[in-house]
Amino acid sequence: MSRGLGRLAVVGALWRLGFAEAVAYRASLAVWILTTTFPLVSLALWAGIARAGGPVGGYGEADFVAYFVAAFMVRQLTASWVVWDLERQIRLGELSVYLLRPVPPVLHHAVTNLAALPVRLLLALPLAAVVLVAAGGLAVAGDPVVLLLLPPALVGAWLLNFTIQVAVACLAFWWQRSATLFEIWTCLFVVLSGYAVPTSLFPGALARVVVWLPFHAILGFPVELLLGRLDRGEALQFLGLQWLWLGLFTAIAALVWRRGVRAYGAFGA
Amino acid sequence: MAQPAVVAKGLSKRFEVARRGAGVGAALRALFRRETEVVDAVVDLSLSIEAGERVGLLGPNGAGKTTTLKMLAGLLHPTGGSLEVVGYEPRRRSPDFLRSIAMVMGHKRQLSWDLPAIDTFELHRVVYDIGREDYRRRLDQLVTLLRVSEIIHKPVRTLSLGERMKCELVAALLHGPRVLFLDEPTLGMDVSMQLALRDFIRAYNEEHGATVVLTSHYMEDVAALCPRIVVIDGGALRFDGGLGELTRRIRPRRRIRVAADRIPELAALSELGAVIERHAGSLVLDVEPGAIERVVPELLALPGSRDLEVRDAPLEEVMRELFDRPTEERG
Repeated sequence: MSRGLGRLAVVGALWRLGFAEAVAYRASLAVWILTTTFPLVSLALWAGIARAGGPVGGYGEADFVAYFVAAFMVRQLTASWVVWDLERQIRLGELSVYLLRPVPPVLHHAVTNLAALPVRLLLALPLAAVVLVAAGGLAVAGDPVVLLLLPPALVGAWLLNFTIQVAVACLAFWWQRSATLFEIWTCLFVVLSGYAVPTSLFPGALARVVVWLPFHAILGFPVELLLGRLDRGEALQFLGLQWLWLGLFTAIAALVWRRGVRAYGAFGA
Repeated sequence: MAQPAVVAKGLSKRFEVARRGAGVGAALRALFRRETEVVDAVVDLSLSIEAGERVGLLGPNGAGKTTTLKMLAGLLHPTGGSLEVVGYEPRRRSPDFLRSIAMVMGHKRQLSWDLPAIDTFELHRVVYDIGREDYRRRLDQLVTLLRVSEIIHKPVRTLSLGERMKCELVAALLHGPRVLFLDEPTLGMDVSMQLALRDFIRAYNEEHGATVVLTSHYMEDVAALCPRIVVIDGGALRFDGGLGELTRRIRPRRRIRVAADRIPELAALSELGAVIERHAGSLVLDVEPGAIERVVPELLALPGSRDLEVRDAPLEEVMRELFDRPTEERG
């Protein structure tokens, strides 16, 4: 088998394994999805405020509904949990099993995480549909050129989230509980990404700064793109920024992974 | 001459490990001043293993056996020396190297916990690039030999330890590795399962000419499987040779068992050798090698003498004696 075809077959096999695991863990996946319904809480709050007092910063009631349902769905589409899996594998020495296989362990995680997305979507879509039907429609971007940027923006968001998680998990080669650090990251993410509040509602200077941060590149940017809140120039600029962050975090993750494997103690065995 | 399976020269591994005292106070102090300790897990180890050999690594806990094995498999990066396994430098973990080896760890599982083992086998078929025909043939062969056809379709979490270990072996051997590293493969197994696994590993080695390197706390595993023993202690090589040679060097006295209608008194027995067990109808003695020719006829002359057996001391006792000695005397 040629090298390229062989690699494709490996991805296919990992996908099948990841999908089978996701189906086996469907109940816990459903619970995970429930833990990410925070935007729907924000939805109720902000839509209520808009209903009572009129639009807030350019968002009417229907806009808030659309925004938070989109935020919920983007979160589902860009989800990964490699930081917990990889950290545990490093800490307990389970990584040894993956290092012995002729497949890069990070590729294993990437594909098995991706393979769970269809199951995740299948569980999340009905919830989003119910909310949309109950609260009003989802207006997507009118400009087809801007919409064309959505797939690379979502891919970039997934990769950026995954890569940052890998980089943090790799710190477990030196600091046992590195996933705890990711909890801090998650707190910042909830506040600064547009997950709890659209970033444009932040006070002036803060609103201008947060859009340059990786949090916004993971969530706020794809959501705003989907809802047609960005013109072509802005969309391209944020896409470029997102992939710049991706480049930076890929370099960091690659560095800590390489150094970490050298320092790996393969403990617990 | 065929390429050796393993060539290690001056191999060393040094770890830096955090240490602290017990209690909350020590934990708090460690937050601000982390104390570390340098541990030389393997020191200047040189070793060559020919293709097709079965070698047992022995040593007390913390001797460096598993660290050595993990360096051979490419999991740990050596801090000194050079290492080649089937012509590759393990720490580089090149795909061709990884396809040439397999490692089975008694405490680690490679099978997906909530899926049937067959799903992991299928993954291995693709990642190890095994042709479908080869895969089917090897799977059939392994499943038959290990008698696991009934269980490979059940979720791994529902299997017993022994069943799971058999499936782990299938997963490890599907790609036909040239070198097999076994780290405590019989851990927690009952005796009949241990025997079955030993038979299987020996058969695999003989049939495929694969090199087997084994560590086990069960000396019987090592004694039954490995014609060659490598003893590691304090990270350094203490002995490398045959089992008989090790026993004769460390514990030259032979163990004689005999059953008889009447066993002489202790005082009379002391002239024959050291009494290990003395019962109404049986006797176990440790006898110096030079005295065997004199002692055996005397024991045969006992009234109703039968079932006389002369053996080397059990490996457990040999190892205990070896590790109880001061380091400089052990070599």
